[in-house]
Amino acid sequence: MYLARIDGTLVATRKHATLEGCRFLVAQRLEADGRPSGEPVVVLDRLGARRGTTVLVSTDGDAVRRLQGNTVPARLSVVGIVDEAVGQAGGR
Amino acid sequence: MRLGIVRGHVVLHTAAPELLGTRLVIVEPVTAANLAAGNGQGGGKALVVADHLDPGLGQMVAFVEGREAANPYFPGKAPVDAYCALLVDATDFRPPDREGVGS
Repeated sequence: MYLARIDGTLVATRKHATLEGCRFLVAQRLEADGRPSGEPVVVLDRLGARRGTTVLVSTDGDAVRRLQGNTVPARLSVVGIVDEAVGQAGGR
Repeated sequence: MRLGIVRGHVVLHTAAPELLGTRLVIVEPVTAANLAAGNGQGGGKALVVADHLDPGLGQMVAFVEGREAANPYFPGKAPVDAYCALLVDATDFRPPDREGVGS
């Protein structure tokens, strides 16, 4: 799991059938000092995370499979909305 | 999933049997700077992505990497480690650290 900041939304009409109805957000993984790093990632969100919030992202693809079915081509999902990450500038 | 721009596709002369019926597209991943600029550029290291959605050249897609990329072949198995999951119509990517950069 890692912390990421929600920096965007994404619209996709054509998608794998198992992802129909899912909400997707664009996030950036955060370093320990709260700065974003790496390439942006697309995460599944069922918690209603909003732009600018720090979220907990899980890389457990099996968790997504349990929700969307065995053939789902996705791994990253929002599993928490961060209130405060103590000692981490990105928490809010 | 990462985002990428479709730059072409691959035609195989001989293929692993599990790959039959799968299109292979060449994808250039999109960096945060290019996504924020919305310039249609990628900037990442190109890779080959298995696909059943048929994106056009220059189309932005989201692709999953690793073990989950073979999930669509379940209960079969396929030697696939990148799979095109979404054809992206639009993104609204505005990281606060890049507001105003390049504009």
